[in-house]
Amino acid sequence: MTPETLKMLAIGLAAGLGMLGPGIGIGLIGYSAMQALGRNPEARGSILTNMMIAIGLAEALGIYVLIVAILLVFVV
Amino acid sequence: MKSKRLLGCSFPVLIILTFIIFGLIILGLLAGPIGKSFGVSLPSWMTLHEPEIKLPAEVVFHIFGFPVTNTLLGTWLTIVVLVLLCWGATRKCKLIPGKLQNVIEYILEYLYNFCKNVAGEKYGRMFFPLVATIFLMVITNAWLSLLPIFGPIMVHTHEGEVHLLRGANTDINMPLAMALVSFFTVEIFGLKTHGIKYLSKFINVGPLYTSLKQISRGKIKSGFSGLITGFINLFVGAIEAISEFARIISLTLRLFGNMTAGEILLLIITFLVPFIVVDVFYVLELLIGFVQAFIFSGLTLVFLTMAVVSHDSEHN
Repeated sequence: MTPETLKMLAIGLAAGLGMLGPGIGIGLIGYSAMQALGRNPEARGSILTNMMIAIGLAEALGIYVLIVAILLVFVV
Repeated sequence: MKSKRLLGCSFPVLIILTFIIFGLIILGLLAGPIGKSFGVSLPSWMTLHEPEIKLPAEVVFHIFGFPVTNTLLGTWLTIVVLVLLCWGATRKCKLIPGKLQNVIEYILEYLYNFCKNVAGEKYGRMFFPLVATIFLMVITNAWLSLLPIFGPIMVHTHEGEVHLLRGANTDINMPLAMALVSFFTVEIFGLKTHGIKYLSKFINVGPLYTSLKQISRGKIKSGFSGLITGFINLFVGAIEAISEFARIISLTLRLFGNMTAGEILLLIITFLVPFIVVDVFYVLELLIGFVQAFIFSGLTLVFLTMAVVSHDSEHN
């Protein structure tokens, strides 16, 4: 295996496997938010606000993975 | 009899519009690299060459030896836009506001209520300037970078052709500066409210000291369990200190990564299908700009609240 091949494999695996965690995390956050909304439709504003904050924090981990992949493409 | 209207247009107009949009998308698919791999070559004013994605910001000119990059020009444009908006809104302040004053009042009142809901009455007032400034700066940077003037204007420098303006959040220095300001404000508010005892959250020698005193007085059993608890508290305090510093990195990378990924996404989608499809991603970019601004300022507010809250309820 040439270094070029290994580098491409590394980029693909890093980006692909890294997105598993945040994807599942955001799905779980959405699931609990939908449940809470179903039980108490009046609290829509505060549920939405807190869901947005939690989704932003979980998505940041996926962005770290993306930055690692971009670093691998351009710098290494 | 009123003719049936759907989306504001009558039915035949809607069908013609759908066909035009569909035709443009097919033309775009043929004009991009997908069509090129099938051998269809269209006139050169419809095709695009591959976008070059450069991560560090490019220098446009120098002032007295200080390099001015295109993201710095974007920041200056943001400052000018914000100052002009607020000056125009407060020029003739009326009790029943006019249109522009109404919009600015709505935005500021929304942020003020957000601060008061999270931090309480007294601290919400103190934290509001920093949180509102961070929010307005991030959202104006993010949304202005979607305007058409940010792409096409090119300038000749000695390194080649360079974009004149670029969104300020795509340069890592801007989120880093905001994260450092937020971090230092959190620490200073904590020190101002609690005095030097604020540092005892990180260097937690209190329980260790009392357990050593208990051993020296002769109560061995309770002294030893206190000793172990003391060491665990020391360890937890060190981890808390590390997580405080990790906040700088996480805030910076979150904002920088989202904005850069959005810019690269728009460039690549425009390269693949030059015509209509990009508009969907513009909506995504607008939403991401708002969410990232909200998260940056909201996290700053939450960290500030956690730093000034009094720990009196924990000791019994």
